[in-house]
Amino acid sequence: MACVSGTETAQFSAVVVVGLLVFFYGGTFLISTRIGKKDENADGYMTGGNNIGFGISAASMTATWIWAASMYASATSGYTYGISGPIHYGLWGALMILFIYPFGKRIRSVAPKAHTLAEVMYARHGRSSQLMLAGSNIVGSLISLMSNFIAGGVLISLLSPFNFTQGVFAVAAGVLLYTLWSGFRASVLTDFVQVVAMLGAVAVIVPFIFFAAGFPAAFETGAENLTPQQGSFFSSEAFMGQGAPYIAAVLAYAIGNQTIAQRLFAVRQSLIKPTFVTATVGYGAMVIGVGMLGVLALYLGFEPSGGDMNNLIPEMASTYLPPVLLALFFIMIIGALSSTADSDLAALSSIMMADVYGQNVAGVKKANPRTMLLVGRVTMVVATALAVAFASLQLSILDLLVFVGALWGALVFPVLASFYWEKVTNRAFTVSVLAALAVFLPVRFSWIPVDGVFGIVVDVLSVLGVGVVLGLMVFGFFGTRAAKIVGVLAVVVSAPFAIGSLHEYATLCGSLVAYSVSTVICWAMSVRRRDGFDFALIAQRTGDFDDGPATGTVAAGANGANGDGVPHQADGTGSDDAPEPATTTH
Amino acid sequence: MTTFALSAYVLVWPVLVAVVLFVISRAFFREWAEARRNGEDLI
Repeated sequence: MACVSGTETAQFSAVVVVGLLVFFYGGTFLISTRIGKKDENADGYMTGGNNIGFGISAASMTATWIWAASMYASATSGYTYGISGPIHYGLWGALMILFIYPFGKRIRSVAPKAHTLAEVMYARHGRSSQLMLAGSNIVGSLISLMSNFIAGGVLISLLSPFNFTQGVFAVAAGVLLYTLWSGFRASVLTDFVQVVAMLGAVAVIVPFIFFAAGFPAAFETGAENLTPQQGSFFSSEAFMGQGAPYIAAVLAYAIGNQTIAQRLFAVRQSLIKPTFVTATVGYGAMVIGVGMLGVLALYLGFEPSGGDMNNLIPEMASTYLPPVLLALFFIMIIGALSSTADSDLAALSSIMMADVYGQNVAGVKKANPRTMLLVGRVTMVVATALAVAFASLQLSILDLLVFVGALWGALVFPVLASFYWEKVTNRAFTVSVLAALAVFLPVRFSWIPVDGVFGIVVDVLSVLGVGVVLGLMVFGFFGTRAAKIVGVLAVVVSAPFAIGSLHEYATLCGSLVAYSVSTVICWAMSVRRRDGFDFALIAQRTGDFDDGPATGTVAAGANGANGDGVPHQADGTGSDDAPEPATTTH
Repeated sequence: MTTFALSAYVLVWPVLVAVVLFVISRAFFREWAEARRNGEDLI
């Protein structure tokens, strides 16, 4: 046993932790060598040949969406808000996977062979839109990478004699080891193994702790530890404090995150729906299941050491689990953070390969696949080094994530509209996103007092943002008419309650004004346009960079963008902001 | 909620997790076997 901030917790010896890390990362490395090729294909390195099956895709989508912070945050939500807390974290996060699947189908139908969303924005609009999306993806993935390394460092320092820095280096080296050579292909294959470990661990550990901690009897003996709100399944505190801000943030994450887009472009097109539905259930069940540990802790009157909620799950595990299951718990957390970290590395490398080198440095016609691979691998090494360096600065991860979430919130409507509405222009996209950011920053960071007229303006924009968020969710499934009805209803219903008070919630308002401002300006700048964009051009302007076979199954190049099976980008589009021109008049 | 309902509420999630694990694993091994039969890479 060891003492962590005054609490006794079980701890592994150095030999056991090294053994577990070698077992996990050595095992994933060996698995990745099974698919390694001396001459990797640049497109396979980015998307695995656009033809991956259901089993691996569903596992990879689930594993990528689950990261260590999701489990910690869900348990914290259960501990803070009571029995409905994990639902208000896990359910909304899960439903976002479901809500973006119709958008995913549309995106794949117009860009079947793309590698990144930013690449598609280049084909649709031009360079400024592409670089805005790519830039936000780079910042977001670096933050995600850093936070996963931090989670690994904290876990290792808590459960072993090693310190935080040693833990960060161990995790960073382990992830880089198995991802570097085969890129995305290694990421998705090892995701399967990692998701098996994670799901298997939750299926065993949660019931074990439940009975080991004295439940179900403890529900009666510990009921007095809960407030009426914590004991209610319909807690308004839980919704306002956890659910509502999370709904706004997660939609932006689902749309703006390249790790999700990358899997969207990788899965066989006919398997998008079952993949997303399975990942929805898998993510929700796992994250809510782990969150239940927070609820159990609340009933038990369990106090995390130092009041630090990040200690809650590890201390519950170390208190109630025998050594073998504690090792399984350790693997579960390492698996969760590694699967997301390797996805971030693969996403960053794809952006640098396709968006920076492929389209902005060499040009699509002159891009050398071997150079692209080198760019991808160097990107992974540099990104890992940067994330390790940032981890040592101990920045506020939550603040950074909220900032990136709002950044992506400004992009959601312009990006989605660009796939459905032929009138959206590059200028409308760019101006609306920049204007949304210009309004978001003073709201989020309270640069301007919100107790006067500005507060009312913020409230009105936030209410519009509520309508935009709910309207977009409905639009994917039921189309424009239903989306407009729901959006307007949401505005009408929420306005009386929100106007006059919503500006007190700076984080929530920041996200909502980013949605509303970008939507209003993008719509206003596009609606009067007479010319429309021909969406068929996107498929011609995106495609494979590498002539070599991406995978054994990919002969599939089949539905190549050109329709002739020739795997090459069909249209030069090398000039600045050029792609827009091809139009139809409506 | 009653003790029974609370217990079911907590324990249903690990059960769902096990079901998803089964579905994903079955699909993976089927695809693996099919790829081997066809002499192709899994990814």
